Amino acid sequence: MLATVAKLIARRLLAAIPILLIVSALLFCVLRLLPVDPAAMSLPPTATIVQIEAKRQEMGLDKPLAQQYLIWLHDALHGDFGRSIVFGREAGSLVASTLPATIELAAAAMIIAAGLGLGGGLLLFSLRDTWFESVADLGSILLLSIPEFLWGLILLFVFGVVLNALPFTGEVSPNLPQPHITGFILIDALLIGRLDVFWSACQHLILPAFALGLAFSPAIMRVLRSSLFDVYHEDYIQQARLRGLSERQILLRHALKNAALPTLTLAGVQFGILFSGTLLVELIYSYPGMGNLMIDAVRNADLPLIQAIGLTYCIVVLSINTIVDSLYLVLNPKLRVR
Amino acid sequence: MDYAARSMRGLRKPDIDTVLTLQARELTITARLGGTFVPVINALSFDLAPGKILGLVGESGAGKTMIGRGLAQLLPRGFSITGGSLRFDGEDLVAMAPARRRALLGRSIAFIPQAPMTALNPVRTIGAQFDEHLARLGQRSPKERREHALAMLAAARLPRGDDLLAQYPHQLSGGMCQRVLIASAFASHPRLVIADEPTTALDVTMHAPILQLIADMQRKHGTAVIFITHDLRLAAQLCDEVIVMYAGRALESGPARTVLSKPAHPYTRCLQLANPSLSAGRRVLHVMPEQMPSLRQLQDMTGCRFTPRCPLATSECRRIEPPNAEIGPGHFAACLHVSGAAGIDPAKTTSGPPPSAGRRVLEVQSLSKIYRMSRGLLGGRATVTAVEDASFAICENEFVALVGESGSGKSTVAKLLVGLEQPTRGRIVFNGEDMTDPALRERARQAGSLQMVFQDPQSALNPRRRVARIVTQAMEAGSRHATWEERRERAAALLAEVGLAGDFDGRLPGQLSGGQRQRINIARALCHLPKLLIADEIVSGLDVSIQAQILNLLARLRDELGVAMLFISHDLSVVRHLCSRVLVMYRGEIVEQGPIDDVFANPQHPHTQALLSSVPPDEPAETWPLLQANRSLNQGRDTVQPWLKKS
Amino acid sequence: MIGSVGNSLRSPRVLIALGMVGAVAFCAIFCGVLAPHDPADQNLLSILTPPAWASGSDPQYLLGTDSLGRDVLSRLLYGARTAMIVALIASLGAMVIGSILAHIAGYFGGIVDWLIGRLVDVWMSFPPVILSLILMVGLGIGLDRVILAIVLVDWTRFCRVLRSEVLVVTRNDYVAAARLLGFTHWQTIVREVLPATLPLLITLLSLEMAIAVVVEAILSFVGLGVGPDQAAWGQMIADARQNVYQSPWNLLLPIFAIFFTVAAFNLLGDGLRRTLDARLAETGH
Repeated sequence: MLATVAKLIARRLLAAIPILLIVSALLFCVLRLLPVDPAAMSLPPTATIVQIEAKRQEMGLDKPLAQQYLIWLHDALHGDFGRSIVFGREAGSLVASTLPATIELAAAAMIIAAGLGLGGGLLLFSLRDTWFESVADLGSILLLSIPEFLWGLILLFVFGVVLNALPFTGEVSPNLPQPHITGFILIDALLIGRLDVFWSACQHLILPAFALGLAFSPAIMRVLRSSLFDVYHEDYIQQARLRGLSERQILLRHALKNAALPTLTLAGVQFGILFSGTLLVELIYSYPGMGNLMIDAVRNADLPLIQAIGLTYCIVVLSINTIVDSLYLVLNPKLRVR
Repeated sequence: MDYAARSMRGLRKPDIDTVLTLQARELTITARLGGTFVPVINALSFDLAPGKILGLVGESGAGKTMIGRGLAQLLPRGFSITGGSLRFDGEDLVAMAPARRRALLGRSIAFIPQAPMTALNPVRTIGAQFDEHLARLGQRSPKERREHALAMLAAARLPRGDDLLAQYPHQLSGGMCQRVLIASAFASHPRLVIADEPTTALDVTMHAPILQLIADMQRKHGTAVIFITHDLRLAAQLCDEVIVMYAGRALESGPARTVLSKPAHPYTRCLQLANPSLSAGRRVLHVMPEQMPSLRQLQDMTGCRFTPRCPLATSECRRIEPPNAEIGPGHFAACLHVSGAAGIDPAKTTSGPPPSAGRRVLEVQSLSKIYRMSRGLLGGRATVTAVEDASFAICENEFVALVGESGSGKSTVAKLLVGLEQPTRGRIVFNGEDMTDPALRERARQAGSLQMVFQDPQSALNPRRRVARIVTQAMEAGSRHATWEERRERAAALLAEVGLAGDFDGRLPGQLSGGQRQRINIARALCHLPKLLIADEIVSGLDVSIQAQILNLLARLRDELGVAMLFISHDLSVVRHLCSRVLVMYRGEIVEQGPIDDVFANPQHPHTQALLSSVPPDEPAETWPLLQANRSLNQGRDTVQPWLKKS
Repeated sequence: MIGSVGNSLRSPRVLIALGMVGAVAFCAIFCGVLAPHDPADQNLLSILTPPAWASGSDPQYLLGTDSLGRDVLSRLLYGARTAMIVALIASLGAMVIGSILAHIAGYFGGIVDWLIGRLVDVWMSFPPVILSLILMVGLGIGLDRVILAIVLVDWTRFCRVLRSEVLVVTRNDYVAAARLLGFTHWQTIVREVLPATLPLLITLLSLEMAIAVVVEAILSFVGLGVGPDQAAWGQMIADARQNVYQSPWNLLLPIFAIFFTVAAFNLLGDGLRRTLDARLAETGH
């Protein structure tokens, strides 16, 4: 059982590699086709044409596109993603220093989204055939119509500006020490033994995490509900009733696991989108993650940095998809045994 | 006067001490239709004694399944029990508190479902589902539960129970799933088991073993069984008593062999005459016109519900609802003309389909189809041989049958012949032209000389097209542009051909009944007067009375249009009635072929023999060797688990 | 199909949603007439005036002014035009590309299906926000660029969902029957498959319009949208964020405008899904 699952995961990972290569090549080509000259941008504005030309040769920009890509790929595989033009630092290390904060935010948001989605889905389902059904359904559609960046602004306005209840800029209060050990602020705060830092970090995380979580939960809710509806039309539910099981036992032991399968597929896609949704929330809450770095890079057309960050987003999304696919295989015996 | 109640009491020996397992009195189930209520079960009464098998027989829509559902009070939305009582072991199930009723379900009352493959939860192992059931029955120790489960599986003749418990439903065949469900149903020593068409979804050769198992288990545990079926011959073999249902009414009831050998109600008689026989002389099938009334039609119907289709109907039948009268010992019928039933349709015999001596329309040589299955990036490749080295020919005006179990490759042959799949090897010569050449095939297709009638009319008819546009669909194919007038004319002719005169051309498939849809399905294939029709299980989804209508239609098409047909079916009686030659397919190969009477009289291949013996005999008095052989085997092995006695 | 359209128009949900979409569309079409000011006119003498119901308001500016003294009402109306143009053209574009590929992949299957499937996989591994930002860097800002970026990002939504629907429809025997009756592949797709997938197509179109409105707002919010010369709700939010303490209404009004429009399209999509899709109508949910 464990061995078959491990084999399946390995197979999924292998299948993700060619996709990643194509993605990186596409990214490389799109960015090279831009009317921006990376060589000129990496030199001070006073540089002469000769200097720029020399830089172009140094950066390999005179070679054919395919060769340039291979050079870039070779460097990237050795951990060298080029130097950021704006920050003057290694793009790879910039990404590495901001990625943990983004992962932390996304993970918190995913937990909130999954929790709200599960609870809301069961609530919506339990309201079936009642007068509240259409009201709850309408409510879920309205919830679905508030994207994460609107939630960010609304929560910021209500809890930050009007109620002044929670902080809404940065990762911890500026008057507290900001540890940098693993990069994950919650873990680092515990590592240095500062509960006040941990508490402050939690408070700073609440609004952005809820903004994301609230935005992505309605989709999960609605899919869970409709999957449950579908499962309840199946023969084995009727047969379980005829065996005398209670409605509660039927829901928990028979329906939920079957309904989880389509829900999981959607949740996987949603979590991928949620991860990139951190970008807007980070921007709104000045959260020091990869999203804000991306915004800086994009506004300054910092190609090496855009490339490194874009690739990182893709890798994370592909990883999430792989994990969800594997989970799907674990839950679905039909696909597991072949 | 409570005829039915009185009648049923007469069914059993007047044994006062026997407590009845189930006693229905004037049971009425109604459906809400708009603002009005329509009875789907009308004042039904019967008695069921312990250890007896009661058959509920009838076509779909008769209300058989509603009775089983009503017992558990798990009726579809809009349906409810509105009258009468259902006493189980002396307690009324209708008036009972839901919690008490639920406690009985799965414990004292168990159900064997119609579709075993979907009745088990696909994401849980057999063991987990069995264990859950036993735990609910009150067995505490997991070890005991496991042992009990293994014992039950062994009793259901499932080998390697240990492995089975760890498997998931999709890893088992339909027959194995049904054995598991039977084992689980009898695990609690139930007093009553309801088996709702338990073999309908299974292969023909599985029918007898599954019925045998139910009969054995029933005997061993002394259980009373309600056996719901559409098959009169099956009911005659298995049941002690039967009730023939029609549109929610019990029309005839009594000891199974008496009722089915000397039917007193015209409906029972007509149903038997509509069913082709496997052994007796061929006769023209009796055709009941129209179909069973729908709920909506029942709303404003008076008198006997069978009147519109009854050959003996008089104006009186329309006015009064006939009482349930005793016509023999324990034999009851609700009809004003019981004496006339035996005289219906003095069984005209025919010589059977004519052997064809015409030119060969189709010649198939060494046809093979091998599917290659990719098993993912690292899985390598596997091959499945669906059809292997099939050779046969069909002559003009000849009906040839292709029989076999599901998965034997019958449907693949059909797809290869019409070009929906490409053969791996072999030649298909149609009308003198080699059809393996795609260009020639395309031309034959344009000419419409080779057509297929699909199995499921629900899926074969585009729900968005109106009937006239469906039957003349071939006229808008390719670059042809028939005018609407031409098409209307052709549609009217085709509809008349398949017996659908009237205003059908403007309807949508969703507004038609199953039999009407199948007629449309056939009419569409006839549009360009094909030389050969491939018909894939086209009557298997239909009720007996509708099936007879379609079979007679096909025979008429052969005589009038001179069309040849490859008739794919699993039903040997139907095949014998319609076809002159037969091909028997088993695991992708044609194992036997020849004139149908010769093959059926003297089958050579073991599979042909197995198929033939799987059909219950026509005469209720005859014994069916497959079902009777082991009946005595398990007697006296009755062991009652002590823990079960308590509950 | 015609029957189901009539069916849809009897559903209160669809009617309310159509009313809401109609209201936004009315603002978008007639914003030139409705707007009291030119949305770009700056009045530096009266900046951040509150809306009419708050104290210190200027009757000239019904919903107040922003930090550059521009009329908020006019900008909201012109923003509706931007949003509706993007929603309409971008979602139609994405629908055309996505559904053509979906029908080809689902109908023919085999290697074609595999190739299109992998293309969608690669596309989908770019998170949509990131891909649209990168595209906007490459394409530059402007209304047409925003539309192009949304089409390039979102065609996969149509392709993925429709492909599986086409697969389901194609499995029906009536599609095989059409081929046997002599229909060409093209005839079969157009006359037998497309009518069956059309309800889903229309539903997805409506939902995609909601997504396009959001994406346009996001891009304008980040500053990579339609450009400074055109009014857009996302831009208004970005501007108002600087002065959230002085004039919260400047933030809340465009937020509400986006919510209203997105909710209208989502409601419409849901209502259409329930009434056009025969299968859903049968099972009752």
